Amino acid sequence: MIQPQTMLNVADNSGARKLMCIRIIGASNQRYAQIGNVIVAVIKEAVPNMSLEKSEVIRAVVVRTRKELKREDGMIIKYDDNAAVIIDQKGNPKGSRIFGAITEELRKFRFTKILSLAPDVL
Amino acid sequence: MRLEKCWFCSSTIYPGHGIQFVRNDAKIFRFCRSKCHKNFKMKRNPRKVKWTKAYRRLHGKDMTQDSTFEFERKRNRPQRYDRINTEKVLQAIPKISKVKATREKDHITKRLSVGRVNRRTEDRRELEQSISLVKAPSVLKEDATLTLPKQKVTVSYAQTENTPMEE
Repeated sequence: MIQPQTMLNVADNSGARKLMCIRIIGASNQRYAQIGNVIVAVIKEAVPNMSLEKSEVIRAVVVRTRKELKREDGMIIKYDDNAAVIIDQKGNPKGSRIFGAITEELRKFRFTKILSLAPDVL
Repeated sequence: MRLEKCWFCSSTIYPGHGIQFVRNDAKIFRFCRSKCHKNFKMKRNPRKVKWTKAYRRLHGKDMTQDSTFEFERKRNRPQRYDRINTEKVLQAIPKISKVKATREKDHITKRLSVGRVNRRTEDRRELEQSISLVKAPSVLKEDATLTLPKQKVTVSYAQTENTPMEE
């Protein structure tokens, strides 16, 4: 349940550390972003001397939420934090490594590159 | 589909039940119901919570080592589908679980039998010593039918196993 002003961790090595959600891409009235939704975010904290800087506006896809993800088979998964992976306009991740476990839901949203980079897929 | 074990109480989690929590180090905690989940959030140690399997196994209340546990061990090597093998396994599963259940029950019966023996000897001693609370000893002595005969009965473990379990 990510909404504007939500702080998210960054789950890749693109250079940013913390993001703040500004907007959810999709329906104009959509209130919350779940795993697999793309958000527009501003970088609040970044690793020095990398391509991404603080207060840069970028797009990211949400990969972990504290709010439970419910599947049709009745499985409920929840994470310990809110995290996103920074992507470009096409949907390819900016970083080269992903940290943490990723759910299969991203496959439905066609983020196959992220899934292939993920160390663990649930 | 895989039947998982609850991290807290070690009961089986059937599909559609419970919550899985993924920690940041990618360790997955599966819970069978919100009771176990809430205990986990309270940071309780299952080895100290009396109703969990972890506590019972740790304190010897339940059977820990048995050959029937070997059948349920998780094997990470995928097996090629063999129809005959699968049929044999499906036939063996109820037999194994029946054997396991009887062995677990016997373990508990054996553990509790010591208490049963102690209670019987206690009761016998109380009957001999405190019969005056029921009737005065002088009255008992007058009527021969009322006096309890003194019997010395040696209570052995083999004898108590044959008697049916008291409720």
